[in-house]
Amino acid sequence: MSSRDTILATLRANRPDPAAHPLPPVAMLGDMDKGRDRFENSLQILGGQILMPQEGDTLATAIARRFPDAKVICSAVPDFEGTIRIEEIESPQQAAATDVLVVRSPFGIAEMGSIYLSEAQLNNLNSAAHLTQHIVVILSEENLTANMHTAYLERPEFHTANYGVLMSGPSATADIQGVLIRGAQGVRSLSIWWE
Amino acid sequence: MKVKPVNHAKAAEEFLEDAPHLTFHDERLWDMRQKRDQQMHLLPEWQDLRTRASEIKEHTLANLPEYLEQFEANAKKNGIHVHWAADGAEHNRIVGEILEKHGAKSLIKSKSMVTEECDMRAYLEPRGVTVTETDLGERIQQLDDQLPSHIVVPAVHKLVPDVAKIFAKNYHTDPNDNDPQSLAEAQRMAARPVILTADAGMTGGNFLVAETGTFVVCTNEGNADLSSTVPNLHIATLGIERLVPRMADLGVFVRLLSRSALGSPITQYTTHFRGPQKGGEMHIVLVDNGRSTRLGMEEFWTSLKCIRCGACMNTCPVYRRSGGLSYGAVYSGPIGAIIDPTFNERKYSTLPFASTMNGSCTNVCPVKINIHEQLYKWRRVLAEHHELPFVKREIMHMAGKLMGQPKLYRTAINGTEVALSTMPRFVLYNWLNPWGKHRELPHPVKQTFHSWYKQNRLKKDKAQ
Repeated sequence: MSSRDTILATLRANRPDPAAHPLPPVAMLGDMDKGRDRFENSLQILGGQILMPQEGDTLATAIARRFPDAKVICSAVPDFEGTIRIEEIESPQQAAATDVLVVRSPFGIAEMGSIYLSEAQLNNLNSAAHLTQHIVVILSEENLTANMHTAYLERPEFHTANYGVLMSGPSATADIQGVLIRGAQGVRSLSIWWE
Repeated sequence: MKVKPVNHAKAAEEFLEDAPHLTFHDERLWDMRQKRDQQMHLLPEWQDLRTRASEIKEHTLANLPEYLEQFEANAKKNGIHVHWAADGAEHNRIVGEILEKHGAKSLIKSKSMVTEECDMRAYLEPRGVTVTETDLGERIQQLDDQLPSHIVVPAVHKLVPDVAKIFAKNYHTDPNDNDPQSLAEAQRMAARPVILTADAGMTGGNFLVAETGTFVVCTNEGNADLSSTVPNLHIATLGIERLVPRMADLGVFVRLLSRSALGSPITQYTTHFRGPQKGGEMHIVLVDNGRSTRLGMEEFWTSLKCIRCGACMNTCPVYRRSGGLSYGAVYSGPIGAIIDPTFNERKYSTLPFASTMNGSCTNVCPVKINIHEQLYKWRRVLAEHHELPFVKREIMHMAGKLMGQPKLYRTAINGTEVALSTMPRFVLYNWLNPWGKHRELPHPVKQTFHSWYKQNRLKKDKAQ
C-alpha cells in the first residue's frame, strides 16, 4: 500500500465520530467599518505609510520627492512611466535591481491595513514585489473591504490567482533581542497612493 | 540501548544560572503575552473567534481523510505535484529526489517546524545540497547549530552580543557590533546573493484549504515570498492536520494567529499559493509523522488543532524560566510537552512534568486546546507505563500511602514542624528534594489546621 493509502486508512480508523463535530456556518464577526480612516490607522500600526500628495503633485513628483536617490523605478501600471516597465524584466532574479516598484492593488482590508497583489498585477513576475527595495501601491478607497471575513467571502481573487499575497506594511523582524526592525528581507518600505 | 529521558530540570538549571539571558527571556515573552492581551481586548468577538476556530478544527480532524482527498484533487487540478510522507525519512527522500531531478544544489528555505521534525538539513547536506535558512532567527540557530528554541521566535534565548559573535564568525562582521539594526542588515546583505542564485526554494505553511487546493504561508520578514518566487522550483512541506475546509474559514484563523503569537494584528505577509507561478514548478509534501496515530488517542487528539502560534509558550512560567532548548525536543513549551511524548514516550517522559498546572496555556490557546488537562493526563499515562523517574515515583508512592491514611498523614505533618526547624540543611536540601533547589522551603507552621480545629472548635461543636 502507498503511504497515501496507509495514511488515509489510519485516519479513517482513528478519527473521532464525524457526527459529533459538525461544521459551523461561515463566520462573519467584528467591526464592519470599511472606511479609509480605519485602513490608514491599521496600516500605520504595521509600519506602512501614506504617500501624501502636495499641491500640484502627480504620482511621479511625489515619488521623486519621497525617493530622491532611486535610480530604477519599475512600473507595473499603464498610467505611470517609471524608468523601466515590468514587462521589460526578463527573469525573477533581474527584479533585484529595482529601487521602487509601482503597482496597483485590486483591494485593501481596513481591519489590517493590508493590500492584495497577485500575478495579475505583477505581470507574472511575483518576485518583483519582494526584491524591490521599496513598493508604492496605488489603491482606491472604493476597493476597501471591512475585515478578513468580508475579504475571503467577497473577493474572487482568492479562488482564481495562483499567487496571492496580502502585504501589511513592509517586511519586519524582531528576531534579534526583540528589537523591531522594519525592512527585514523584503521591501524596506510600503507606501499607499490613494487614487 | 534504551533511550534516556530528556533531563529538562537539569538543562533548566543551567539556563537559570545566567541572569541576563534569563531576565531578558522572561520579560520578552511576557511582553508578547501582554501585547496579545491588548489585541484580545480590542476585539469583543475574541471568544467567539476561539470557539469558531476550535469547532472548525475539530470538524476538520473528524473528516480529515475526505478533506485531504479534496485538497489533493484541487491542488493537482491547479498543477501542484502532491506527495505523501508517512514519516520524516520518507519526507526527506521525497525532497531529495525532487532536488536531484532538477540538479538543484542550493536550497533556500523559510521556517518550517515540520522540516525540523524530519531533521531534513542533516539528510540533504551530505547529499551535496546546501540548505540556507532565510528567516533571521532560524538562520542564527542554523549557524549556531541549535534547534529553534521557540516555534515563532527561534532565537529568543539569545542576546545581541550572541548574534554579533555568530555573525562575525560567519559573515565577517564586527564581533562587537551592538546594534540589532545593523546586524539585521548584515543578514539581508548576506542572504540576497544566496537567494538570487538558489536552484530551489522551500517553505512551510500554516494552512491548507480543501475547497481550493490552496496553502497559506504567514510570515513577517518577506523571506518566504522570496524563497518561493525567485527560484522556479518551490517545494512546500506541511503537516496533514493543517487543513481548513473553506477559503472563508481562513478569516477566523488569520485574525487569531498573529494576535495570539506576537500581539500584532496580522503577519506582514499572508501568502496564498494555489498553483505554480508562470514557468515554475510547485510541489507539496503532506507529512504524517505520527499525526494519524495521534488522531486515535482519545485524550490527546485535540492537540492536532494547534496552529503553532506559541501563545502557550509565552505565557508559561516554566517555559519562560527554562528556555526552549531545555526541552531537548523540536517542540518546546506546553504544546511541546503534550505532543513530544507521542513521538517518543520514554525520551520525552519528563516534559509533561514541566508545568505548574496553572492552566494559563489553555486560557490563551486560540483553538481552545485543553493543554494543562492533557499535561495532567500524560502524567497519568506515563505513570501507568512506568516512565516516571525513580525519585518522582517513590515520592508519589510514599505520598499516596500517606494521604490515604489520615492518622499517618497527621503524624507526618506534625513531624514536619520539628523536621524543618531542626534538621541540618544537607538533609533538607539535596537531590531527593527538588523543591529545595533555588528556593527556601516554607517556614514551618506553629500548629496545623487539624490540631487547631481539635483544640478550639471540636469541643465547642460537641458541647452544642
